[in-house]
Amino acid sequence: MAVCIAVIAKENYPLYIRSTPTENELKFHYMVHTSLDVVDEKISAMGKALVDQRELYLGLLYPTEDYKLCRYGYVTNSKVKFVMVVDSSNTALRDNEIRSMFRKLHNSYTDVMCNPFYNPGDRIQSRAFDNMVTSMMIQVC
Amino acid sequence: MAQCVQSVQELIPDSFVPCVAALCSDEAERLTRLNHLSFAELLKPFSRLTSEVHMRDPNNQLHVIKNLKIAVSNIVTQPPQPGAIRKLLNDVVSGSQPAEGLVANVITAGDYDLNISATTPWFESYRETFLQSMPALDHEFLNHYLACMLVASSSEAEPVEQFSKLSQEQHRIQHNSDYSYPKWFIPNTLKYYVLLHDVSAGDEQRAESIYEEMKQKYGTQGCYLLKINSRTSNRASDEQIPDPWSQYLQKNSIQNQESYEDGPCTITSNKNSDNNLLSLDGLDNEVKDGLPNNFRAHPLQLEQSSDPSNSIDGPDHLRSASSLHETKKGNTGIIHGACLTLTDHDRIRQFIQEFTFRGLLPHIEKTIRQLNDQLISRKGLSRSLFSATKKWFSGSKVPEKSINDLKNTSGLLYPPEAPELQIRKMADLCFLVQHYDLAYSCYHTAKKDFLNDQAMLYAAGALEMAAVSAFLQPGAPRPYPAHYMDTAIQTYRDICKNMVLAERCVLLSAELLKSQSKYSEAAALLIRLTSEDSDLRSALLLEQAAHCFINMKSPMVRKYAFHMILAGHRFSKAGQKKHALRCYCQAMQVYKGKGWSLAEDHINFTIGRQSYTLRQLDNAVSAFRHILINESKQSAAQQGAFLREYLYVYKNVSQLSPDGPLPQLPLPYINSSATRVFFGHDRRPADGEKQAATHVSLDQEYDSESSQQWRELEEQVVSVVNKGVIPSNFHPTQYCLNSYSDNSRFPLAVVEEPITVEVAFRNPLKVLLLLTDLSLLWKFHPKDFSGKDNEEVKQLVTSEPEMIGAEVISEFLINGEESKVARLKLFPHHIGELHILGVVYNLGTIQGSMTVDGIGALPGCHTGKYSLSMSVRGKQDLEIQGPRLNNTKEEKTSVKYGPDRRLDPIITEEMPLLETLALAQEVNQR
Repeated sequence: MAVCIAVIAKENYPLYIRSTPTENELKFHYMVHTSLDVVDEKISAMGKALVDQRELYLGLLYPTEDYKLCRYGYVTNSKVKFVMVVDSSNTALRDNEIRSMFRKLHNSYTDVMCNPFYNPGDRIQSRAFDNMVTSMMIQVC
Repeated sequence: MAQCVQSVQELIPDSFVPCVAALCSDEAERLTRLNHLSFAELLKPFSRLTSEVHMRDPNNQLHVIKNLKIAVSNIVTQPPQPGAIRKLLNDVVSGSQPAEGLVANVITAGDYDLNISATTPWFESYRETFLQSMPALDHEFLNHYLACMLVASSSEAEPVEQFSKLSQEQHRIQHNSDYSYPKWFIPNTLKYYVLLHDVSAGDEQRAESIYEEMKQKYGTQGCYLLKINSRTSNRASDEQIPDPWSQYLQKNSIQNQESYEDGPCTITSNKNSDNNLLSLDGLDNEVKDGLPNNFRAHPLQLEQSSDPSNSIDGPDHLRSASSLHETKKGNTGIIHGACLTLTDHDRIRQFIQEFTFRGLLPHIEKTIRQLNDQLISRKGLSRSLFSATKKWFSGSKVPEKSINDLKNTSGLLYPPEAPELQIRKMADLCFLVQHYDLAYSCYHTAKKDFLNDQAMLYAAGALEMAAVSAFLQPGAPRPYPAHYMDTAIQTYRDICKNMVLAERCVLLSAELLKSQSKYSEAAALLIRLTSEDSDLRSALLLEQAAHCFINMKSPMVRKYAFHMILAGHRFSKAGQKKHALRCYCQAMQVYKGKGWSLAEDHINFTIGRQSYTLRQLDNAVSAFRHILINESKQSAAQQGAFLREYLYVYKNVSQLSPDGPLPQLPLPYINSSATRVFFGHDRRPADGEKQAATHVSLDQEYDSESSQQWRELEEQVVSVVNKGVIPSNFHPTQYCLNSYSDNSRFPLAVVEEPITVEVAFRNPLKVLLLLTDLSLLWKFHPKDFSGKDNEEVKQLVTSEPEMIGAEVISEFLINGEESKVARLKLFPHHIGELHILGVVYNLGTIQGSMTVDGIGALPGCHTGKYSLSMSVRGKQDLEIQGPRLNNTKEEKTSVKYGPDRRLDPIITEEMPLLETLALAQEVNQR
């Protein structure tokens, strides 16, 4: 399922990044970082229309051929980006499921932001958030 | 893709030029050798026509050819070996490095400012070499020989005889079935007879008479008298004339495959230019045989050939070893064309002009006309007859095709003179003379024919060239058929499994797309061709893809960086260390300081490695330093590996310059403001002994309340002693200085009493750090009793033990992520000003239970070498920032810090020590 979930700040540095096969962490970091280009492109392409419709989900960023991985993007109103790398080899996920996963992630992220002790811009170290991400990662596997 | 020097409109006509073979007699070759050039090389700088040329196409329309270039090369009877080509390409790429002072463009994209070199000369030279080294293939004719120059010298005994011998030789090579390699465009190749005449040595009269004879025999159009070597070589130094070969020869010897004919001398001279150390004289044939290539199958050099099968009974067997030796020397001496004057240059230029106007172009014109006639007749035939028969026998046609398909996986193969190929031949000829309209329509027809026959390789070739010529058509061009190229690439790669052709197609296609600024298509194309079979190619293509991303309308910086890393990885796999390092450094700009620490560490680590293997130790050290300094998120094992590599590299640096200043070490961190200084003996009272009330030791926690009390007490004492007045220069005695005490004055220390400095270390890593021989570093200005200050500066602790004695802690362990303090003592033996500068130690690590991880060791260094002794000596400065000043208005509005003199004690003469013991309200004075 989700093999890597990343929360990227507005200034494009990672707030939170986690991947399941930990030995290949570097690869996922590169992957997420590279897909930010596409996220940027999509945001600028949609421009104002996006704001009006409040459509935060960006859809499939682009697949990588080799690993059977798909990357999905999601942007909050404050330009915080969520990137999810999904292993599509075993299950073909429907768009709706991805959408709901992102919504869950967003809710959880909002909770983190509501924490008065959290300094916006710091790395997310919330345990609740961590647990939620973990649950999303093993949901299907 | 990066910008290129040549535009695509120049590049393609230059890459596909009419090829002319050259066959020289031994004597003629000797004449050109005087200039350290072969005949083909001699012509190289002049092979571009300076004026426009006109020719008539089959419809009798006048067609103008601009900037026509021809390629003259010696006949090579063996196809180039793939291994040799690979080596050649490798050399070309490694030989072309970015210029040192190259001004890079600054591209600003979002919040990134990137320095990117706009051009990639290594890629251009790779492409040029690649296109030149394409072997001649059966399904296309672009680099088949159109004509052959037969060259003999006027000094020969029987020049006319020699010419007919050469002519026979050429005929044999072309028509004998033994030689499959040099491919010829059409059966009756144009022969052009060239009489070389050495002006300085030969008899002019004789040459003229021979030339007359030749004219009689071969016609005025088919022969030429070329006079060269007008000056004797010993005069070469007197007069400086431009050396047009220098730019070509450098390239030539590296790039052109015909340079391989010269045997190893040129090859080694290339290597020589790299390391300038190899002496050439020791080289002989054994070296040649060891080389992986067999290029020098030139018929005139057959005795050098290691392979007896391709020896030809050429006219000469007498190429002496001494002349060969001479050649070798000639290649080391850079002067080419030493015997040629400017007039000679003009003569050569004239000769090429004459050859093209009178010989080559009429020949091409005639051939195109012939082919056109053939086609028209065939078309008429096929239209009337063939289409009818097709209808009738369409059923019976099918099995025939399936037989054809069996012949080859890529479809059928045509015999060399098959009628289907004639149209392709004509298209290629038109293409070579830049008649793109006609070329396109021919390619288009050919493509249809080939597709009908399921001849996939041929069809792909026609598609590729059709797309190129469609693009190059003057006037109102049709839209560029990108799908032609895509189909061609796919066919080459998947059906024909011919990566070389696929690569050529991609290179051309990407260049065409680039010129239409379709960067994302170009990038996709380039990335698709990267594969496991050639690292160099993949690296170059990935790099170009990266450049595509950055050149897009909205630059994709991160994709650029990522593909640069991929390219760097491939470069390092291909052994191109410098290019790898460059790629990683460029990618680093994007990742630096953006919080992507894992990626940053990886890049830094690779940069460190690559710099180390390139002996750029300073860069290596700073890269490794980066990994260790940053708050690392790596695992402990990874950190251990980083640390070990760092230490290893550092050790190498310090071994190179043992007398240099001690390096600054990044580890462990020193919390400098937590440094405490204690003056005097740290007395530890034995059991039962009474502790002095004034006793202060470093073990005590700072207590602001009690220290305030003590200060007040001391003030009262002083005021009582001074009859109620506190002197203006009074300040409370302080034994222990820390971040809370007032450190604005120089503290006083007493001679022969120890000064203890407590340094707070913190280990940011998860691995254990071992500091050995830890001691303080100081500077001392001794004060002489004579009054004058001795300005001599003593730098090192060990240098003057009689001035200041220093305690050395032989071993100090800091566990992973631990903070620990070390107490270091100094014993001043002399009065003066002491400045404590920092700490000096050996930094090392212990390989404990930690396993060696997958990172592995540096090349040439086994993990076994990392032992307990793996440590480097270095220092760290202790610089303490004073308190922020907040008294005047100016200080309040700006950020200013006061001095902190904790570490700069003044050593004074011995004085009495006052100690107070508080015993049941009773003050005992000693």
